[in-house]
Amino acid sequence: MQPGVRAAIPAAAFLLIGFAGPLLMVLGYSFMPPRTFSLAQAPTFANFISIVTDSYYLSFVWSVFLSLIAVALLLVISYPVAYGMAKMFGPWANVVTMIIVVPLLVSENIRLFGWVLVLLKNGIADGSMQLLFGVQLPSLLYTVPAIVLGLVYVYLPFMLFPLVIGLSMVPDTLKEAASDLGASRLQIFREIEVPLAMPGIMIGCMLTFILSLGSLAESKILGGQTVIMIADDIESAFTFAQNWPKGAMLSVILIVFSGSLVFFLFRRIDLDRIIGRR
Amino acid sequence: MSNGVDEPVLQLRNITKRFGNFTAVDDVSLDIGNGEFFTLVGPSGSGKTTMIRMLVGMDRPTGGDIVLRGQRINDVPAAKRPTCMVFQSLALFPHKTVGENIEFPMKIAGVDPARRRARAEELLVQLRLPTDYYSKGVNQCSGGERQRVALARALAFDPDILFFDEPLSALDFRLRKTLEKELKDIHRATKKTFVYITHSLEEAMVMSDRIGIMDFGKMVQVGTPYEIYNEPNGKFVAQFMGEVNTVEVARIGDKRVQSVTDGAEFAVSREPDNFERGYLIIRPEIVKIGRAAEDLPNKVQGTVYNDYSLGSRIQYQVRADSDGYQWLVERLQDEPYEGKLDDTVRIGWRPEDSILVSD
Amino acid sequence: MQAGKKNYAKPLIILWTVCIVMFLYTPMVSVVLASFSKKRYFQFPVVNWTTRWYEKAFESLSVRDLLTTSFSVALLVTVLSVVLAFFGALAFARYDWKGRKLFQKIILLPIFFPQAVLGLALLLWFSVLGITTSWMTAVFAHMVWIVPIVTLIISIQVYSFDPSLEEAAVDMGATRLQTLREVTLPILSPGIISGSVFAFLLSWGNFPLSLFSTGADQTVPEWLYAKMVSGYTPMVPTLGSLMMGGATITLFVSYVAYTLYRGRQKRRLT
Repeated sequence: MQPGVRAAIPAAAFLLIGFAGPLLMVLGYSFMPPRTFSLAQAPTFANFISIVTDSYYLSFVWSVFLSLIAVALLLVISYPVAYGMAKMFGPWANVVTMIIVVPLLVSENIRLFGWVLVLLKNGIADGSMQLLFGVQLPSLLYTVPAIVLGLVYVYLPFMLFPLVIGLSMVPDTLKEAASDLGASRLQIFREIEVPLAMPGIMIGCMLTFILSLGSLAESKILGGQTVIMIADDIESAFTFAQNWPKGAMLSVILIVFSGSLVFFLFRRIDLDRIIGRR
Repeated sequence: MSNGVDEPVLQLRNITKRFGNFTAVDDVSLDIGNGEFFTLVGPSGSGKTTMIRMLVGMDRPTGGDIVLRGQRINDVPAAKRPTCMVFQSLALFPHKTVGENIEFPMKIAGVDPARRRARAEELLVQLRLPTDYYSKGVNQCSGGERQRVALARALAFDPDILFFDEPLSALDFRLRKTLEKELKDIHRATKKTFVYITHSLEEAMVMSDRIGIMDFGKMVQVGTPYEIYNEPNGKFVAQFMGEVNTVEVARIGDKRVQSVTDGAEFAVSREPDNFERGYLIIRPEIVKIGRAAEDLPNKVQGTVYNDYSLGSRIQYQVRADSDGYQWLVERLQDEPYEGKLDDTVRIGWRPEDSILVSD
Repeated sequence: MQAGKKNYAKPLIILWTVCIVMFLYTPMVSVVLASFSKKRYFQFPVVNWTTRWYEKAFESLSVRDLLTTSFSVALLVTVLSVVLAFFGALAFARYDWKGRKLFQKIILLPIFFPQAVLGLALLLWFSVLGITTSWMTAVFAHMVWIVPIVTLIISIQVYSFDPSLEEAAVDMGATRLQTLREVTLPILSPGIISGSVFAFLLSWGNFPLSLFSTGADQTVPEWLYAKMVSGYTPMVPTLGSLMMGGATITLFVSYVAYTLYRGRQKRRLT
């Protein structure tokens, strides 16, 4: 047996049991009649039809909408930082990396709870405004912008680091050459930097989009019941509603949608080049 | 092709290696003598690296036999073969000191620490490395020092045959020249069999007792440096050495050939058996220019197109008037010649200096 | 002109980076602040300070249970994930084999997967297989997401590993085990260490996977979530701060240990 195959077997076997198995199970359940708990029944499309009839598509539309906003904001916010880390900070880039990685290692819940404390009535934002200007802020918590803030906050590193990798793949000499040939800064950005950094930009956008799409805690903790996102619907179908087939159906749609994006992404990038820098 | 060696230590019998449809090594037979410095030379993709990997035991041949001291060793893995290789990357362990690197094969073999250390220090001395390098990190060593550590480690293994996979290719020219000579000295001192691969025939010439030239997986010619230089058996070998003038010719009589492109006739002193059509190889350094060419039997007229200083010599590019062929001619600095660019000149050579090959 | 423009671009970018870093740390500072506030319901500015909530937390047996569960899960996840991921990374980046490109994509897939959905899918899977969920199933669930991440981290190290080092060891007579111990493991150790730290901390803080896979057992993030959604107590910021403290200590200790180790290694090799 090839050594590569031998090395791949443990992880591959584990994911077969721990990842492929559950997904097939979900797929199976999505074709079972609503409100049943067994797989041994005649398959039906009833669940998929209910997307339209029970207006489940609404939570899906909300999820896509909020995720798109989050991705756009993240791209704009992260790009200058990524540029600095890839091209300007030199040895300090490692320090900045460390500083940005650390929050990732703190439970998402706790960090979102911190935002609750900031946005709360009489919380940090409101309290400081009262203290400084005597102005009472309108309610900030449990609003749509609060959810977007949560998404942007939680997924910032997932946009930033791919961008850093992407931008560091742009050789400075090319930009100097373009400048030497008379290109303006905007032209260099458009003609050289963006196309060459595209793999990183694409990974960042796709990754944050997919993660936002499947996010649960942000809308629950910061959004209250303002907006139901798809993961919310999936969770309540499985738990409160005890309707496994419906939850499975919603999961299948989410998985197929995100899965095809990932597939599209993987077809366009060379992992060896991006991860191994070769 | 397998030319006899008095006391062969390693014999290759019809070695073939295929990767799918691609044949990397194609039916190579060869004997390597005990204590010989043998070099395999070929351009990249010629199969020399595949060949050495099979000889060391890291790949298995698809066909043929590898015989070491009379024993077939095709299926013996690298770990069990009494051979050792110095890698192109040197493969020095970055987390170990120079001493630990050199001692590694002895540690694996279970030699006790005191004897390991003594032997390692002995090798440091033999390779002209200061003994206090023993506790130095390999990454603190310069390129040349790393070479020597790698060689010391291979010698510490005490192999029957030492293989070298282009270990000098990453070094700059002058250091390479020094180390080539050192390697030859080590070879003399240790009396071990060295099998070396390189893409540089020049490097091979300096060090080797014998050279095997590979191309497209085939062994094209095996011989001493003298034979390879003076009696190349084909256009490939002749051109591999460096820049040469090559004229496609057909035989028109006893020791007379005619250029296929412009019909010029040349005298030769030797002909391969049954020669009909082939190439006349004339090295730039034996071609005379200007007045020195006047009395020579083989002459071509042309225009001086450019000149290049090569240090001790000057090279001229002369464009033949008849067919536009760009001839390369070299003269020593102190040989008289007053020509200028765009002058019409004659160039010429003696029949015994040119080489006639069939393909 | 180019240089002149860059001169003002750089301070702006540095300023922006500082803002982003502050943005990232704001909620964490808020949580710590709240944990020292005497008021039962948080108000800013904080008037009365107290360490009472910490005292209560350390006395509470249920808090101890929560921390024990979280710690056990994280420890087991770390050990198992690193073993699987080490070999996975060799298959990912070291060896050239036929299914490698496919393997790379499959192994990364769970990272791109919504964790909540993955947790629910695993819940379904356990129930179909007739396995009662407990902290042990949570270990399994965490691993589905963490093994790929650790594989990725170790792979980065493996890419810079020169395969001829292993070949050289084998050529000099080393067995497979000797090669692993003498050459492969020591050289890949930085990747393995950072992989372990990530595995531990990601498991320690994980919520979406735990939520559906722990059954009757509860980890700290789960408890925090439950209390945030209903039945708020000042123990939420306190336990949250303790979690962050735990993560910081883990990071700090592993960083110091690693720096010391590297320093010794460096001194040894001069």
